[in-house]
Amino acid sequence: MTIDLKKFGTTLVSRPSGKEAWLAFQPVLNEALPEEKIIVDFQGIVVLTPSWADEFLTPLRAVFKDKVQLMNITNPSVKATLDILDEH
Amino acid sequence: MPTDNKLLSIGEAAALLGVSIDTLRRWDSAGRLPSIRSGPLGHRFYKRTDIERFLQAIDVAARDWAESTIASQPNSDVYCQTRDVFQARLEKFQMELSRVAPIEVVSLVTAVAGEIGNNSFDHNLGNWPDIPGIFFSYSIRDRKLVLVDRGQGILTTLKRVRTELISSGEAMKVAFTETVSGRYPETRGNGLKFVREIIVKNPFSLYFQTGDAQLYLKKGDEELDIQPIESKINGCFALINFEELI
Repeated sequence: MTIDLKKFGTTLVSRPSGKEAWLAFQPVLNEALPEEKIIVDFQGIVVLTPSWADEFLTPLRAVFKDKVQLMNITNPSVKATLDILDEH
Repeated sequence: MPTDNKLLSIGEAAALLGVSIDTLRRWDSAGRLPSIRSGPLGHRFYKRTDIERFLQAIDVAARDWAESTIASQPNSDVYCQTRDVFQARLEKFQMELSRVAPIEVVSLVTAVAGEIGNNSFDHNLGNWPDIPGIFFSYSIRDRKLVLVDRGQGILTTLKRVRTELISSGEAMKVAFTETVSGRYPETRGNGLKFVREIIVKNPFSLYFQTGDAQLYLKKGDEELDIQPIESKINGCFALINFEELI
């Protein structure tokens, strides 16, 4: 499945909105097939911060591990956020 | 540190302001920040007090609010009592900035502002000493923005998980260099590290104060130059300059 991140907004900066996105998306994630890839598409995202990503991307990777793939990560705040998350 | 009456070279002034020497020359020609010409070659020098006044000019109201012993709500045009108001104003700022700057710049400036502003809410929710929320003001023309809270400050927040911390300077250093969250048992907390990473890799500058510690950070800085400051504030004060980005 592909998660079109911009459907959560294009300025993704706060912890509560990241947490809310994670909770709201659970029913969809629960439908993922056992070997299905989870593609996160950052197309259209203008601003991303570690606060938001920590609440959505970190638990997503914790659950689906290597099945998570990221695409369209050229936006500089997306890149900077992923760099920080990958350090830990 | 130079004394107040000593003149600063253009390089020293540029470092304090977090801009390039060329920018200072441009500001001098435009009369925005006049220099003093001295020496046989007419080199530019600056009074330290002029530099400090310039740094404070756009954020004087914010600093007054941060330092005041009398708690009062800021003007409604700059006051974000809740996170929702901050998010709406941040998106407005983002939209205005996108009229004069490419998306790469808009993305980084808004991310830094968003992280600092949201940090204030994350660490003071339910614990605001007097006025809840943040003071958020910006000038697209001057390429600056300011974010202030009257919260508990970094030392109080981090001391809960790092009991050995005794000064605001130490706490600030931990916040900008380590992944540590004052929101135990949360293990996350790399917001200010993220801010630092962006600032030192891009032509930005940041002035940050918490308690009696202050920090100037700009592109290329490898070490954190944390200094004591007499005018103490309880919360956090951040001034971001992004002139050189545009």
